[in-house]
Amino acid sequence: MNQTARSFRSTLPRFRQSLLVLLSLSTLSFASHAETISVQHAQGTAQVPIKPAKVVVFDLATLDTLRTLNIADVVIGVPETPYPKHLSHFQEASYTRVGSLFEPNYEVVNQLKPELVIVGGRSGPKQPDLAKLAPTIDLTVNQENPVSNVDSNVRLLGKIFDKEAAAEAELKKMHDAIAALKQKASGAGTGLIVLTTGGKMSAYGPGSRFGIIHDVFGFKPAVTDLKESNHGQAISFEFILKTNPDWIFVVDRDVAIGSEGQSAAKLLDNALVRKTNAWKKQQVVYLDSFNWYLLASAGLTAMQENIQQLSDAVSAHQHH
Amino acid sequence: MLIHPGSNPLTSSYRLLLLPTIFLLALSLISISIGVGDFSFSHLWADNDDADVWQLLVISRLPRTLALILSGMTLAVAGLIMQMLVRNRFVEPSTAGTIESATLGILLVTLIAPDTPVFIKMLVAGAFSMMGTLVFMALLSRVPLRSPYLVPLIGLVLGGVVLACTTFVAYRFDLVQSLHAWTIGDFSGVLQGRYELLWIGLLLALLACFAADRFTVAGMGEAFTTNLGLNHRALTLFGLLVVSGISATVVITSGNIPFLGLIVPNIVSLLFGDNMRQSIPWVALLGGTFVLLCDIIGRLIYYPYEIPIGTVVGVIGSILFLTILFGRRNRA
Repeated sequence: MNQTARSFRSTLPRFRQSLLVLLSLSTLSFASHAETISVQHAQGTAQVPIKPAKVVVFDLATLDTLRTLNIADVVIGVPETPYPKHLSHFQEASYTRVGSLFEPNYEVVNQLKPELVIVGGRSGPKQPDLAKLAPTIDLTVNQENPVSNVDSNVRLLGKIFDKEAAAEAELKKMHDAIAALKQKASGAGTGLIVLTTGGKMSAYGPGSRFGIIHDVFGFKPAVTDLKESNHGQAISFEFILKTNPDWIFVVDRDVAIGSEGQSAAKLLDNALVRKTNAWKKQQVVYLDSFNWYLLASAGLTAMQENIQQLSDAVSAHQHH
Repeated sequence: MLIHPGSNPLTSSYRLLLLPTIFLLALSLISISIGVGDFSFSHLWADNDDADVWQLLVISRLPRTLALILSGMTLAVAGLIMQMLVRNRFVEPSTAGTIESATLGILLVTLIAPDTPVFIKMLVAGAFSMMGTLVFMALLSRVPLRSPYLVPLIGLVLGGVVLACTTFVAYRFDLVQSLHAWTIGDFSGVLQGRYELLWIGLLLALLACFAADRFTVAGMGEAFTTNLGLNHRALTLFGLLVVSGISATVVITSGNIPFLGLIVPNIVSLLFGDNMRQSIPWVALLGGTFVLLCDIIGRLIYYPYEIPIGTVVGVIGSILFLTILFGRRNRA
């Protein structure tokens, strides 16, 4: 009796141990049985699970697209940054802050144990490091062919989250809007894209980060020899007067310290700019700097809003 | 009775000033003639009704050239005053925490009350740069200075700490790019009505000229100054007020122009020694010339686009600075 009791006592832990091993084995096999697909992203291919429920997103354009496709509830971690209006609910405390737009907080990401991490644009270069923690895809939009990049990104997200029909519908909406804008813009005259910050200005041309205005939406560039540069070319007011564009598209970088376009309008309101066609015809458009600057107009809603703003601006003047 | 020309070193050096003055004026004409708009001097007097050329001159070209000369002159004088007060050749507003403090002031006032008039912003910037410079002086009086190189090092460290705070605030409020625009000097946005604060800087520099002899005395030390019956403390404060005011007007109008207050007074002192009354017009003229020249280069290299003057001065200035540094070492 004593012996049996002892043997029982000694077998109990062993039994418990084997049970644990069994359990862990079953979870392991369960995990490996979860469906994954191989996807192509900006920096290669990655194996990602289908319909992941815990996603960390560093790219605002992707957040925008996920929200537009009604799959934002899978997001658990977002970057610490100012958010545009239509993404403001990501500011809520229920979303874990996982670093800045540029620099992930790897500790926090690791603790969240995400099933998928999405980077893009400013966070794009961190893909290889994040890939060591979780499957990570880079959805950076290449400025050379932004629209086809948005297409493939939206389709990819649709595939991963099983929302392919919704993705196609949104893309069709976008392409229709672009075609309509293109038609209006082609006869609207020349345009110059100006970014203002701290009382200084720089110009952007086709192929630049805001070049979609010329390359895709079809506004004729007022200057054709602008070199591509991520930070534009420093220009003077005389330059604006000399090129005399019919449209001035302004990205006000100082929007954080005032309301939209206010500081830029103050900067541009001077005797030289007042003599340009754009000013005389009231064709100075203050672009939504969040949509253009932070999202690089690569999210579905941002893109739609940008097209809408330009389209409205052109129609307002065609009726005159 | 005839005074032989050249017998008085002061009058002879004033006479020598004619040449650099002419050079500065010539550069000004070149500076005025450069720009993207259609402008030429012959058009001004041509018999046509083209008011545009005059407008371009008055609104854009003249203000820019004046702003350049004013900033160059005043910043160089500010550097000279600081070097006299601290008795160290390697001190100027951007190696003493002055400029960085002014920038912090501008950032804070822009964040808290963005619609504040520029003049008030300048006063706030001036107050901040004054405080920063006072901290620098207080640090100097507490640190045993075994080497003259230690003084600017302390200033650079202080400036670095202030800049770190500024960058942190700017980063938090997504203003890092605007901060860059304030810290790197650039005259591309100068127009009539947008540079006039610089005249206040000139006024301060002129005041300093009148007190030039006193600064020379102050440069010989506190005991010496007190022996001559001058109030060393008041003189130092006045000097700092001038320096802070000038730094604030320049930073708020165009952004910082590095090295200027350091190189120009050093070149002048190599030529004429340390009599401030004698060297002040030279420092002012050379400062204006240097800034004009750098801006012309920045506007031509990449025409019709511009390279900010802060970048041009940074490149040319650092080379000149190193040359002076090694030159002085060899002489000593």
